[in-house]
Amino acid sequence: MTADQLSVSNTATIETLQESPLKVNLMELGFLPGKKITLKHIAPGNGPMAFRLDETLLALRKEEAAIIQVKIV
Amino acid sequence: MAETLSSPLTKTLKIALIGNPNVGKTTIFNQLTGLNQKIGNYPGVTVDKKKGVMSYQGNSYDIIDLPGTYSLYPNSEDEVIVHRVLNQLSEVEKPDFVLMVIDSVQLSRGLFLATQLIDLGLNLAVVLNMSDLAEKSHLEIKTFELFKKLGVPILRTDARHQKGIDQIRELIHQQNFSNPGPFIEAKEFLDTNELSDVREFFQLDNDYRAYQLLRFGLKDRGLSEEKRTWILNKLESVNIDLEAAQLEETKIRYRKISSVIQQVLVKKETVDAEESKLDKVLLHPVWGYLIFGGILLMIFQAIFAWASVPMDLIDGFFADLSSWLTEALPEGPIADLLAEGVIPGIGGVVIFIPQIALLFGFLAILEDTGYMSRVVFLMDRWMRPFGLHGKSIVPLVSGVACAIPGVMAARNIGNWKEKMITIMVTPLMSCSARLPVYIILIGLVVPNEHILGFINLQALALLGLYLLGVIGVLATAYGLKTILKTDEKSFLMVELPTYRTPRWKDVLLTMYNKSLTFVTAAGKVILAISIILWILGTYGPPSTMDSIREDRDAKIALAETPEQMEEIEMEASSALLENSFIGIMGRAIEPVIQPLGYDWKIGIALIASFAAREVFVSTMATIYSIGGDPEDDATIRETLDRQINPVTGNKVFNKATAFSLMVFYVFAMQCMSTLAVVYRETKGWKWPLIQTVYMTSLAYIAAFITYQIFS
Repeated sequence: MTADQLSVSNTATIETLQESPLKVNLMELGFLPGKKITLKHIAPGNGPMAFRLDETLLALRKEEAAIIQVKIV
Repeated sequence: MAETLSSPLTKTLKIALIGNPNVGKTTIFNQLTGLNQKIGNYPGVTVDKKKGVMSYQGNSYDIIDLPGTYSLYPNSEDEVIVHRVLNQLSEVEKPDFVLMVIDSVQLSRGLFLATQLIDLGLNLAVVLNMSDLAEKSHLEIKTFELFKKLGVPILRTDARHQKGIDQIRELIHQQNFSNPGPFIEAKEFLDTNELSDVREFFQLDNDYRAYQLLRFGLKDRGLSEEKRTWILNKLESVNIDLEAAQLEETKIRYRKISSVIQQVLVKKETVDAEESKLDKVLLHPVWGYLIFGGILLMIFQAIFAWASVPMDLIDGFFADLSSWLTEALPEGPIADLLAEGVIPGIGGVVIFIPQIALLFGFLAILEDTGYMSRVVFLMDRWMRPFGLHGKSIVPLVSGVACAIPGVMAARNIGNWKEKMITIMVTPLMSCSARLPVYIILIGLVVPNEHILGFINLQALALLGLYLLGVIGVLATAYGLKTILKTDEKSFLMVELPTYRTPRWKDVLLTMYNKSLTFVTAAGKVILAISIILWILGTYGPPSTMDSIREDRDAKIALAETPEQMEEIEMEASSALLENSFIGIMGRAIEPVIQPLGYDWKIGIALIASFAAREVFVSTMATIYSIGGDPEDDATIRETLDRQINPVTGNKVFNKATAFSLMVFYVFAMQCMSTLAVVYRETKGWKWPLIQTVYMTSLAYIAAFITYQIFS
């Protein structure tokens, strides 16, 4: 599944990042295979999603989260 | 200062300060340099160049504060600058040393950029900031281990609590930076043989730099045409998939950093920070928006309440200065120009400072506490259908107080298209300068009555005007979204930083710097236009102007009481304005504005208030020779109410005309200060011109429709 399909408070491990021009931007923020992310908040109206990655909270749009292939822990 | 003057031949060392966003870099910059800061410009972009001087032990050092970035890959104008300075592409801005600030809690992300800097071959030192937060999160960084892995000097600081700043000064003074050689070799992720001619042409001493230049050099519009062409040609023949190389680099780099982190970072226990409780409320689907609305309301209340005091003082000061000059200088055109053109022109610039400073103060507080990125998070979804970005909310909201700081705040938006749309529509938000116009006109035609027992009709009309502005913003943004084209992909990747108390010193410095930028950059244009408008409003065909003056002097000689003299003076100044160049222009445009329900007198006020909307009120007062205190709304309103159209015999300011005027002011670009700022932010006259044309057309059409509906 992809990260945009997670429910709030789900924790998942990143498996791969799908091909996209934004792939490298996600990687530079630390979204890398093997890392654990937890979905913390979703903004109303299918808005951006806030993930906890290591010690930080990062907000991504839904279609950006869809680049991240994950597996629920 | 004496020491630096005595040795003018030694070059002042330049130190560039770099780091991820929200790591306390600016706090360190402020503490190192204090008020010795200067805001300049980088050629070719709108990014502010923040430079400061640090004095230590009799020496001074130039500190350059670079925009925050996560990597050397440039995604926005800000990051192009980072790319340019750190790749040392510009001789002027070339730093001797680089000081990299890392947030101790986010070591891996910080190291990503730090190791890129190492690979560029820069002379580097690393500051691990926010050591207090790391302690709170139960993290321990083995500094010495990290030093061994990276090979660059490492300092620990807590800039927010002024800890470790002296050590930074000492480190700079000792020039304790090092260049340890690559963290990862460029040949690990690409074929470096392909880069040898890049190195040769640009005279670069390592492959990583050549790769950076080839991959991103074209993004920097500051690069000379010759170099750009060279890169373009090279890109066509080069046998490397640069994009794949970049991905590979990122992977390898993070892999190596992870292994470093495993050895230097001790996690005592994992704690989910307490801020998630605060986020539960502040990001709540209902409470989140309500609280945001409440905070906005508080900010506007404060701006209206606090800014009006200094604004009145500034107003009074410049009025006094004008009248003092009129008396002190010998009578003549020079004295008039100074007292009535230049001084009020400068006053017209300075008067905006309280609003700009306060608004930027509040924005800095919201930014610094970490709340602003939450607002972006909440609003992004609702802005996107209109071609705007979550970050557009800051300029739009600022626009309710004043479009100037709003347009200035739009530069934080990375995507060109979204930034341009934001700049183009922000002046449609009803700013505080429209309020006096609205209030006078509403008072004229909307009865002060209540419907349903508690809703005041006048308040309702005012609310309607503000809403009309918002509708204008959304509709225009939507239209621009379909017109403007860009290849850049819009994205939102923002950190929601830990909540913190604001750093008051940084807030004050932001207020000071933003006001200064406004005065120096936009001030010149505003002053020039004020003077032109003053000349047009004061001078006219000499024969008519002279005869009005002679007539006035003759009548004054016959006047018996001071009241009579005052009345003659007023009538004369009204006649002078009517016959001035602006008056002639007002008459000339009468056929054009007649369908909106305006006569030539209103035309004069429209042209005169091109400089600033609030001028409408005082111009109307002059045209209709309203005596007494021109600030007194009631007198102006009564006089306007009495005006009868000589042709139709009806009131000039009937419902249809008044509403048409209000709607005109909702949409019209009647503010040269905004135009001057748009000129500065877009680096040219193209966009301010388009903006003026589209806003005026919008105003014209909307006013026309309004007039037809009400008449």
